[in-house]
Amino acid sequence: MPTLTIDNQQVTVAEGATVLEAAEQLGIIVPHFCYHKALGAVGACRMCAVTVVEGAQKGLQMSCLIPAEAGMRVTTGDPQSTSFRARVGEWLMLNHPHDCPVCDEGGECQLQEMTIASGHGIRRYAGKKRTYNNQQLGPFIVQEMNRCIQCYRCVRTYQDYCGGRDFGVLGSRDRVFFGRFQAGMLESDFSGNIVDACPTGVFTDKTYRFKSRYWDLQEAPSICPHCSLGCATIPGGRFRELQRVRSGINQKTNGYFICDRGRFGSGYVNHPERPRQLHSRGRELNLAEAVRWLDVQARELLEQQGPEAVLLLGSNRASLESNWLLQQWAIDLGCKVPLLSAHIPRHQAAQVAAFDFSDRLASLEQLRSSDLVVLFGADPLAEGPTLALALRQVVRAGGAVIVYDPRPLELPCEFDHQSLTPVQLHELLSAEKGPEIDRLCELLQRAAQPVLVGGGDLLGAGGLLKLKKLAKRVSNAERACLLLPLLGAANSFGAALLSPAEQDDLLTRLETGRVKMLVCLETDPLLEAPQGERFADALAKLDELVVFDYLPTPLSVHASLFLPTCAPLETVGTFVNNGGRMQRFAPVIEPGLPIAVTGDGDHPPREFLSATPGDEPRPAWQLLQWLMDDRRELSQLHGQMVAQLPRLDGLTELRPGDSGLRVRNADERSVIVEDLPEQPAGTLQLLVSPARYGSDLCSRFSAKLTPRFSPAILRLNPQDAAERELSAGDPVVLDCDLGSFKFCLQLSEQLAAGCALVENSGAFPHLVPGDRLSFCAVGAEVQL
Amino acid sequence: MHLYRDLRGTLQPFWVTLRNMFRKPVTVQYPEQRQQVAERYRARLILTRDPDGEERCVACHLCSAACPVDCISMQATVAEDGRRYAAWFRINFSRCIFCGLCTEACPTLAIQVTGDFELAGRDPLKLVYEKEDLLVDHCGQEPDYNFYRQAGIAVAAPRGGNPTESAPEDPKSLLP
Repeated sequence: MPTLTIDNQQVTVAEGATVLEAAEQLGIIVPHFCYHKALGAVGACRMCAVTVVEGAQKGLQMSCLIPAEAGMRVTTGDPQSTSFRARVGEWLMLNHPHDCPVCDEGGECQLQEMTIASGHGIRRYAGKKRTYNNQQLGPFIVQEMNRCIQCYRCVRTYQDYCGGRDFGVLGSRDRVFFGRFQAGMLESDFSGNIVDACPTGVFTDKTYRFKSRYWDLQEAPSICPHCSLGCATIPGGRFRELQRVRSGINQKTNGYFICDRGRFGSGYVNHPERPRQLHSRGRELNLAEAVRWLDVQARELLEQQGPEAVLLLGSNRASLESNWLLQQWAIDLGCKVPLLSAHIPRHQAAQVAAFDFSDRLASLEQLRSSDLVVLFGADPLAEGPTLALALRQVVRAGGAVIVYDPRPLELPCEFDHQSLTPVQLHELLSAEKGPEIDRLCELLQRAAQPVLVGGGDLLGAGGLLKLKKLAKRVSNAERACLLLPLLGAANSFGAALLSPAEQDDLLTRLETGRVKMLVCLETDPLLEAPQGERFADALAKLDELVVFDYLPTPLSVHASLFLPTCAPLETVGTFVNNGGRMQRFAPVIEPGLPIAVTGDGDHPPREFLSATPGDEPRPAWQLLQWLMDDRRELSQLHGQMVAQLPRLDGLTELRPGDSGLRVRNADERSVIVEDLPEQPAGTLQLLVSPARYGSDLCSRFSAKLTPRFSPAILRLNPQDAAERELSAGDPVVLDCDLGSFKFCLQLSEQLAAGCALVENSGAFPHLVPGDRLSFCAVGAEVQL
Repeated sequence: MHLYRDLRGTLQPFWVTLRNMFRKPVTVQYPEQRQQVAERYRARLILTRDPDGEERCVACHLCSAACPVDCISMQATVAEDGRRYAAWFRINFSRCIFCGLCTEACPTLAIQVTGDFELAGRDPLKLVYEKEDLLVDHCGQEPDYNFYRQAGIAVAAPRGGNPTESAPEDPKSLLP
């Protein structure tokens, strides 16, 4: 812990910190470009010069490169370093074009800020400016290469940190170029990060092109709703339109970067078909009347037909507060305990994570500093892309990644892939002895900080419990082996945490016919639960279907009473991520039709209105409060939640944008684990995997992501295909419990033999991942 | 002494009146009679065009940022040739205080002040000017400047074709 003096102020910093970081700790910002907290320093821009008066290397030094030493004396504002930085600022601007007015970076441009900080204003050099031709980099990123100052941050982000291979640096001398060898869409699933990393406007967000200036944006810290990792994001909106999402900083989860699904998948907020108005079949009601009607109707039904007549269904998309209020309403009504997820296998897996795993849950920060990560049945790029980024950091730091998964996986790092079918995976996890498990246990026991990652979809509750046994087996007195489950949605953990241990299946309860009213809170079991068709039949037995939602799902159209709710970006709430971290999100924009819609692309309508068009959506928690005639603030509710559930301790202190708080540990719960079903002869194990884009409903309803949506493809191992006399490109039919589906066949060597892999996306909404293991037959399509 | 002072105080105003009665009046019979305002007078704002006849405004939002009363709003969009322009541009003159800060902020010399001060009206909505009301057919007070000829992006000239730029580099070249 060296203590040094910078500008006559003493500061003590951690071992290995640089002078730049030490100065930052004192609040002295030394101008810099190429240094970035996550990427480190390369000393390329020469901007961060300071003068070392006393120390090992005296004189003018780059503060990002020299380590802080005890007794060092540094000045940042002396004439020598100030004039050096002013010259550097001037020559960095030699070739920079005069196009700030038409540059999207203007206003949030580090080059603008540092040029002003270095004191450069008037151009003295009379020579010509260097120019480049730009490349088309696909639908998400625009390149304007003339603005480049050669800091190499984009390459260090894209190649080094994110592991992309199709973007790099070309050329020699002063014509160094950052781009692809040939024009085309950037392939990495983390390509958007170069927009955040670029200190000037070379790479800007194409989906946000010319939409707003930074100072006009309404921004607020939020939590990404697309997967269970709970990355920090900062969405920005203007004129009631959500225009862009940039990465927030949370060391405990994502660090500095996010994936493209989170960045470009915000279109659902402004989906043109988003239901913004209350509709009630045959009744003329306003919002207050509808809420009153719903409460009265539910009470009447319960009185006449008993406690099973009303069924409340929460969701893993809804916030912790909304789910909890739904439970309170159930107590108030006197009906059965609400189900908090329609997808029972996923919910059970989440419960294992929320209760059995709670004492050894890892954060992504812990995972990044691990030296051995073993994944079981997890496809990070589909189920939690930022995890793939964290795995890359493990490998970069010299650690290893081993994956046991049937799917042909891609990761942005080197890894050891063992292709096992789901049945073999369960066998491996429950094996006491065997060459593979012995080898794995030895590796895990030798590792200094091992982490096991389990995909909740593929392993299910049973597999996750087996994973915990393995973690216990390889833990020792010095260190515990940590666990990280991958769950279905942003608040899967929170919904599981609130749920009591044993609950009936949604479908069995609906199919008895005793349920007369179903209330769905921000969920559509037709799309979000397996066996959507059975559910559709069961809906016919209902008298009333009440839906609260913010997405244009089929259920919101069928509902007999539909109440529009706010998207997570339009209200405040809490999500609990897969590592048990409670995180608060803040409202970014108010609900309402964007001006681009009301003005039809032209200027806003010239009329005076007291109300905003399309502002009917209310936060789900507020509607639920109205049902109970409760007008308290959300902060008062939090106190009551903590009093009821001590595991949520700290909920009242959470602030949007902070790093969140881990829920308290819980006792283990005994989960009844079903045995794996027998495989009928001649069938394949059906693997329904989430598509990287479009498997979660929020990204499915985001038009910006359309270029990344995958076509409907069935993958088979060439060996299985040969047995069925099929070849790549053939039209095939897949028969399973859920029905028959037509696909185009592709072959994959890496896919475990005996499996048929399909991806869930908008193309096949009924194939929902995470169901219990089932089997299917695959054959050639018969032409009639 | 008081008598002298009082007499002077009574008579002097009559003398001043008498002296000015025969001077040429300075009152202008507005609106029948109109007067030329000073060249740098700050009144109604306009959006000018560049010497090539294209819109100068690139909807960079600097005027709306500089505006102390927030009376300017706009939305930028892009033309097929890459030119950034305002899809809509609105100035609420019932709020404008004619301070001229927007014209000082404008990097393309698009927004300029004119001497037209006659903006009174009974309907506030008539004082909300849209782009079609603001855009004029001339360069205003700056006849020469064309932003896109200085900007370093290919709109007015192909890439590297402006006078201050060299031809585009070939990054795949191996020449020293």
